[in-house]
Amino acid sequence: MTHGSTRVAAGIALLVCVAVPLAAQGGQPTPAVTAPVISDTGSLKGPRQPIFFRHDVHAGQSHIPCLYCHYSATVSSEPGIPSLQTCGGCHFIVGGSTPTHQAEIKKVRELTSSNHAPEWVRIHTLPAFVHFPHMRHIKALGTESCNRCHGEVREMPQVYQVAPLTMGWCINCHLQRQVTRDCVVCHY
Amino acid sequence: MSDGMNRRRFLTVLGATGGGAALLGACGVGEEQAQKLIPYLTQPEDQVPGIATWYATTCRECPSGCGVRAKVREGRVIKLEGNPDAQVGRGHLCARGQAALEGVYNPDRVTDPLARNAQGQFEKISWTDALARFGANLKGANGHLAILTGQESGSFGDLVDELAKSLGGRHVVYEPFAFEALREGNRLAFGTTAVPSYDFARASYILSFGADFLDTWLSPVDHQTAFARAHGFAAGNPAMAKLVFVGPRMSLTGMNADEWLAPVPGTEGRLALAVASVIVRDRLASAQPDVGRLSGLLGRHTPDAVAAVCGIDAKTIERVARELAAGDGLVVAGGMAAHYPNGAEIVAAVNVLNYVTGAVGKTVQFGPNQNVEAGTFGQMAELVADMAGGRISVLVVTGTNPGHSLGGAFWQAWAKVGTKVVISPYLDETASAADLVLPELHPLEQWNDSRPRAGVWALQQPVMQPVYATARAAGDVLLAAAGKPGSFKDYLQTSWHAVHGRLGHGTSFDDFWNDALAKGGVASAASVEKVRLAAGVERILAGPPDAPALDGGAHDPVLIAFPSPTLYDGRGANKPWLQELPDPVSKIMWHSWVEVHPDTATSWGVTDGDLVVLQSPFGAVSAPVWMTPAIRPGVLAVPTGQGHTAFGRYAKDRSFNAFDLLGGAANGYAGRTFTVRVSVKTTGDHRFLATNVGDPRELGGGEEIVRSLTYAKAKALKPGDRPFRAREYPVYADSAEAGWAVAQRTEAARGNYAGHQPRWAMAIDLARCTGCSACVTACYAENNLPTVGEDLVLRRRQISWMRIERYWREDDHGLQAVVTPMLCQQCEQAPCEPVCPVFAAYHTPDGLNGQVYNRCVGTRYCANNCAYKVRYFNWFNFAERGGEWEAWPAPLDWQLNPDVTVREKGVMEKCTFCVQRIRGAQNQARLEDRTVQDGEITPACAQSCPSEAIVFGDLHDPASRVAQVSADPRGYHVFEELNTRPGITYLARVVHAEEA
Repeated sequence: MTHGSTRVAAGIALLVCVAVPLAAQGGQPTPAVTAPVISDTGSLKGPRQPIFFRHDVHAGQSHIPCLYCHYSATVSSEPGIPSLQTCGGCHFIVGGSTPTHQAEIKKVRELTSSNHAPEWVRIHTLPAFVHFPHMRHIKALGTESCNRCHGEVREMPQVYQVAPLTMGWCINCHLQRQVTRDCVVCHY
Repeated sequence: MSDGMNRRRFLTVLGATGGGAALLGACGVGEEQAQKLIPYLTQPEDQVPGIATWYATTCRECPSGCGVRAKVREGRVIKLEGNPDAQVGRGHLCARGQAALEGVYNPDRVTDPLARNAQGQFEKISWTDALARFGANLKGANGHLAILTGQESGSFGDLVDELAKSLGGRHVVYEPFAFEALREGNRLAFGTTAVPSYDFARASYILSFGADFLDTWLSPVDHQTAFARAHGFAAGNPAMAKLVFVGPRMSLTGMNADEWLAPVPGTEGRLALAVASVIVRDRLASAQPDVGRLSGLLGRHTPDAVAAVCGIDAKTIERVARELAAGDGLVVAGGMAAHYPNGAEIVAAVNVLNYVTGAVGKTVQFGPNQNVEAGTFGQMAELVADMAGGRISVLVVTGTNPGHSLGGAFWQAWAKVGTKVVISPYLDETASAADLVLPELHPLEQWNDSRPRAGVWALQQPVMQPVYATARAAGDVLLAAAGKPGSFKDYLQTSWHAVHGRLGHGTSFDDFWNDALAKGGVASAASVEKVRLAAGVERILAGPPDAPALDGGAHDPVLIAFPSPTLYDGRGANKPWLQELPDPVSKIMWHSWVEVHPDTATSWGVTDGDLVVLQSPFGAVSAPVWMTPAIRPGVLAVPTGQGHTAFGRYAKDRSFNAFDLLGGAANGYAGRTFTVRVSVKTTGDHRFLATNVGDPRELGGGEEIVRSLTYAKAKALKPGDRPFRAREYPVYADSAEAGWAVAQRTEAARGNYAGHQPRWAMAIDLARCTGCSACVTACYAENNLPTVGEDLVLRRRQISWMRIERYWREDDHGLQAVVTPMLCQQCEQAPCEPVCPVFAAYHTPDGLNGQVYNRCVGTRYCANNCAYKVRYFNWFNFAERGGEWEAWPAPLDWQLNPDVTVREKGVMEKCTFCVQRIRGAQNQARLEDRTVQDGEITPACAQSCPSEAIVFGDLHDPASRVAQVSADPRGYHVFEELNTRPGITYLARVVHAEEA
């Protein structure tokens, strides 16, 4: 079974799992969240991305876990940006319920068929002389800890940087938790 | 840091105030430009961003064929390491192998097929067009076809054989250094042209006649590992082999010898027979069958008979004979000794010597033969003659560069060939003169295999997608042009089906193939075969002992052209790492030289750097003099490798070409003669030599830096002895030291420094280090070190975190060379730490001397204070794309290690003990809820070292190997009396001498 078809199957399975809680009445452990309709995208914080990907729809409303797309954050320094195949896993079927949704999803399909990758604008950047190990932080803080540094991405229509990501800000957390402040742990 | 000296107090004492610190906002750190994140279209299954994937393949930088593991990050190979599963190399890699990365990412690679147009210029054409032309050429050759390749002992060689034959032509193999004398010498002595394996590890006495087995001879990496086992000193098992090197020029191998004998060039064979005659005369070894046949030969070569001719006195010959016969001896001949006109007879004489000592079958093993049975220079000369005679209408060249090493007569013959097609990644001399150039993939990008030794099949696979998608594998090109179906990978797998048939043992082909890919090949044992003395061996070296006649004026000095251990036959010249790697013997970079004994130089009135014109009957070159005691007076030596007229920006128009001095005719054993007599003319011109000797970074005569012991003293050491701890701080400093110790313990309990921490430390065994400099290039590859170019090297601004220092000594056996790796000592009480005004240099809790690049403002006080001079400053912006000092023009920057910061101008840097590897291991251990194990972290230098001289680990762990090795009585610290408390313990060198 290829990786691609595994993703598609997982995507379909996820759709089914996600659809049920939204339709059920009462007694559900996960609160139902509906992402708002955005009429004025110009007032949103954060840079415009080539595809208007809404984390509040995917991670918030559909409850897709962060690690589903950003898969290598638990094992690597790199959090991992999802491949176009990951998007296609669902959107090969899911076409969108409104014209604006359909327009964005169409971009995914067009990029896939034309073999181009979307060039996402990077939000969280650290200077080149810092080596930040994502996996150490997730190991220490758990897989639900992404919002500590990245903010409530589940509520963001367009991702923007919430934390200053300055060294002082990093050190404060290290101080609170009494973990290492040694320079050469991150700067080498 | 203690109360005695801390940063604040230091600055107060200096009188500096905080005012000057206003501009400490580090330059170059500002608003980052918006970066883009480009995702995969389809996620590859086995790749996780940020985690490397390793592929096993085979190195092709010399004919040895060591196994290599390629570290690939995000689809780019960024580091090569030895493959521990491989039969050749066994996990180690030499400097040339490390530098293969600069071959695949070379900025001067050919990217498109090129054809010569009507004006004689190259123009780009399509592959369809190129293959059509090439195919037409092959068809139209009508048997007047020759395909010229380098040493190809595997499937590609077989394919070329088949294709050439099917087209009515022939396959010629050309390697500038092809061991013809070895093959012919073995045939003269034993009736077989096979080249045996030499078991250096088993030998207790090694006598080398010219064979530079640590430099370039046969399989230098394996030889070095085995030599370290035999010659290294282990306290528990101190039987240390003795190495005696015989040759007019010391070479790196000679530098590691316990004794160096410098005979008259060409008389090595007579000397070997004299040693053999003593062994037989005095019955020092058990008599071998047929030895009676040698009585005439040996009778003519008594020590007294040869002493005068060889220039070695008879008493020495007698002593060497006694020492050799006393244990498991091994005598090897090669290198210089195999490059004279009588080279084959010299090899045969050494074979006779091995025979009478009983080494054949023990340390000399026929059976597991080394595969160098490829072409000869004679066959190449025949090809040149055919070319000159107009009998070759199509010449295809791939994997070899005859244009560089063959010179004048070759080019004249080349002009008479109808069509010349070259398949090469680079526009070297041969490609630049071709009619059609087809861009080839680099060995790291293509499928192939090789058979470096009997019983070993080494596999080579692409470790990444091609850097240039327009390049193709030579095998694919030949198959397509010849109109044959299938790809070269298909051909390769077909021949591996045959291997599977022999060695598969019931596994499926797919399992067998995948296993071979993972391990880098397969191996089966080759049993040792018996050999007997051949008929006629007693007729070698006929006539009274004399030196062979050489081309050139009879009274002119003899010149030896030797293969450079860094550039080899020229193929390394387009790699800046190798150009900037100081030659292990001369420490000269970016240029060639002529080795002249100081007495000879004085008699000519020249000194280091003076240019002399060397003229042989075949050509002339202008060479700068390098005065060295490591050569026989009156003899000259020049390295090969420089003097290219093409081959890219790093190689072109640099220095002189040693091959220009040599003749193009094959000699008696179908080899090339690399020795010639040259007339020498001084010019009065001068050229500064780019060298790191005499640097302020190499202090004094090295007596305190490289300590050595005689073998007798080393054997007598007991655990707990401290022969080198004589010098400590003086008595009057006792109370101060005690006070500091108390203060330090208090400081050491604070914050991050409290509790149990590792102390990362290293132990370097100088009895094993040979000075080969593999560690230096490995460090360049791992840590993004920039090469600075010859101009800056002349200003002593090279940035080699690890350098090899070489010092000369005299002992009772004469000249000795001692070497030591010198790198940041990670001092516990580092002189560089208190003087940094911005806390960029400080001591980490885990024992490292940390250097924080983004804090550094470039006062350079730390480098000033460093006693070891191991701190390096970025005077220029080596990372600036398109800048004047750009060290990594695209695609060389693809090689950069993403785990290591690339330093900017104005920043100090130094060895970090590969802290990125330390952090990587610590991160992995944390993920797996365990502690870091001893041996899990290996810095790049330690990983590459063929002698396994460097040990790394946690000194606070009493069970670690580094703690045990550091406690060895031979251990010492460099400049111990400065009380810097280095984290590197050196183990003293051990020599077989009365005085060390």
